[in-house]
Amino acid sequence: MHFWSFRALWKRRSVPLAVVVLTAVCVSASAQQAKPALPRTRDGKPSLEGIWQAQSRAAYDLQAHAAGLGIPAGESVVEGRIIPYLPAAAAKRAQNFANRQSADPLGKCYMPGVPRIMYMEHPFQIFQTPDNIAIAFEWSLVFRLIHTDGKPPLHPGFDSWMGDSRGHWEGDTLVVTVTDQNDKTWFDLAGDFHSDALRVTERYTLLDADNIRYEATIEDGKVFARPWKITVPLVRQKNVDRLLEYECQAEKEEVSGDFERDPRTWYPAPGTKPADNPDATATLPPSGPLPALKPAAKVTRTADGKPDFSGYYQPNGGGANYGLEHHEKVNLIPPGRGVIIEPADGLLPYRPWAAKERADRVNPQRGYDDPTAHCFPGGIPRSFYTPSPYQIVQTPNYLVVLFERMSWRIIPIVAANDKTRTHLSDSIRLWQGDAIGHWEGDTLVVDASNFNGRAWHNEVGDISSYTLHVVERFAPGEAGNVVYRATITDPIVYTRPFTIEIPLAKGAEELLEVACHEDNGDLQHLKDIRDEYRAAHPAK
Amino acid sequence: MFPSMRLRNLCAIAALLAGNALAHHSFNAEFDLNKPVKFTGKVTEMKWSNPHSWIYVDVETGGKVVNWALETGGANALIRRGWKKGDLPAGTMVVVDGWQARNGTPTANVSSITFPDGHKLFAGSSNEAAPTK
Repeated sequence: MHFWSFRALWKRRSVPLAVVVLTAVCVSASAQQAKPALPRTRDGKPSLEGIWQAQSRAAYDLQAHAAGLGIPAGESVVEGRIIPYLPAAAAKRAQNFANRQSADPLGKCYMPGVPRIMYMEHPFQIFQTPDNIAIAFEWSLVFRLIHTDGKPPLHPGFDSWMGDSRGHWEGDTLVVTVTDQNDKTWFDLAGDFHSDALRVTERYTLLDADNIRYEATIEDGKVFARPWKITVPLVRQKNVDRLLEYECQAEKEEVSGDFERDPRTWYPAPGTKPADNPDATATLPPSGPLPALKPAAKVTRTADGKPDFSGYYQPNGGGANYGLEHHEKVNLIPPGRGVIIEPADGLLPYRPWAAKERADRVNPQRGYDDPTAHCFPGGIPRSFYTPSPYQIVQTPNYLVVLFERMSWRIIPIVAANDKTRTHLSDSIRLWQGDAIGHWEGDTLVVDASNFNGRAWHNEVGDISSYTLHVVERFAPGEAGNVVYRATITDPIVYTRPFTIEIPLAKGAEELLEVACHEDNGDLQHLKDIRDEYRAAHPAK
Repeated sequence: MFPSMRLRNLCAIAALLAGNALAHHSFNAEFDLNKPVKFTGKVTEMKWSNPHSWIYVDVETGGKVVNWALETGGANALIRRGWKKGDLPAGTMVVVDGWQARNGTPTANVSSITFPDGHKLFAGSSNEAAPTK
């Protein structure tokens, strides 16, 4: 209602009509006030982007439960309160409940499946594009890639822990169908379970800028008498500006001693710094000049004019995972073309102690010490040349990399002159590091810090330390490929910076899931080999 | 002898598609170049899993049957090469080339699997350098 027309009504002394109109305007205005405008993406959909966490006790037990040691009481989040188990399944659930302390698959750090991952007590971050929506979870660097491009799965029937997610919008609600989940996950700590016939339909409704109503309808004819539904509120984490890492299996093996500490890694006692190492603060000579990046003939661009790196990639690591330097095949170690472009000799500038250790680390008894043999995250830059594909999801503010071997990398993109985003506190150390990116022309430059020093650069024992600092460059290559460079400065291990270059080859495949440690039969073999060696060579 | 036309077709595909396998551990640490193995056996099970799939094969030596575990590429690598579950049914006879595990158990990493008529079945070894066609 424009004001001028209201004034015209008043002038014509049509007072009753004017009052009706005024009332209508006021009601409409108050209704709008009650329902604030939702944040929206460029394509007009409600924007689910941001860091969220469930506000619920659902992770302990979906149904109403009393408190227990370490377990807060909670009301049922199930519509109608009760999960409608078939009789045989109800017996199985009771058995699960009785054995829950040892039988919960989460206790083995297995991926939680959907919907359980959505209401665990860890934050997650949503990245939204028209073609797909990525969710990165702090818990064990698990992720989901929800396809919203309308395409059917490329590999239907491929069972996985997190399932296959296909989404579409119904008005302002995102509806996601999750299928192809295996039968090994539970819904909660109380033993609520399902079979491989599980079908989950999720509904994400943004209520206002800070609240999502999350509903999940569970269908599984082998276990339940009828479909049933849970509702859990997801709340924006306003005081959190980035995800950290909770790498379940690594923390577990740290406690059990299955994965051993190393002085170069960051394991300070509370309130202290790692053991003094004069090299940690050594000033290194600068990197020599790098060859100029060749401009690509054709660059696909995003709506805001930046190179569009989104898509599925297979690294062309050229054997970098078996040695960064050029090397021939040795025994069963594959050859490598050499990916070091600076220094010009292509050799790693090792400190003498580190070179000596490296020579030992290549021996079979050290295969167990490689963190990726334990299925821990690959670290940076190794995640980019581990022979396993990954998906890049790009929004105006983030470049997110989802590694098929189930870890992620979140790179926030800030303005080049923006100094407000800084790295994490020194004492927070991560497998994948803390990244800050900015554009320099068509190149995304990333500064990565706060590494835990536990990652190896490859499986033959080229190592990093907690002084690792990586500057990465993502530049457009030919045929939609990406040229990836990483300059590594790590004064505890290396006497000067060095730079590697790997082409990332774009593909037309779809990302699947590698449930690595869930089925890691090799690790025991490798441990046996190590233990046998140690028994024969006792430490002096 | 191929158990099915589908398998024959897959072998044709497999021969064309060589590429990255999904090693997640040092192949050299677990298996021994000095322990090459070659035998003929009967498939008892194919277990689809990641980071590696496993083919179990009964091998008869001197009247004694030993069930060998053969490490191959992960399920993802296999599915991208056109494989489907059930493509290698129990009972299929295969000739296996590979390297035995250092710990001496009947475990091997496969460099090639061949049907008795000579056709090769690509398995996607965990080692990038392993022959792939």
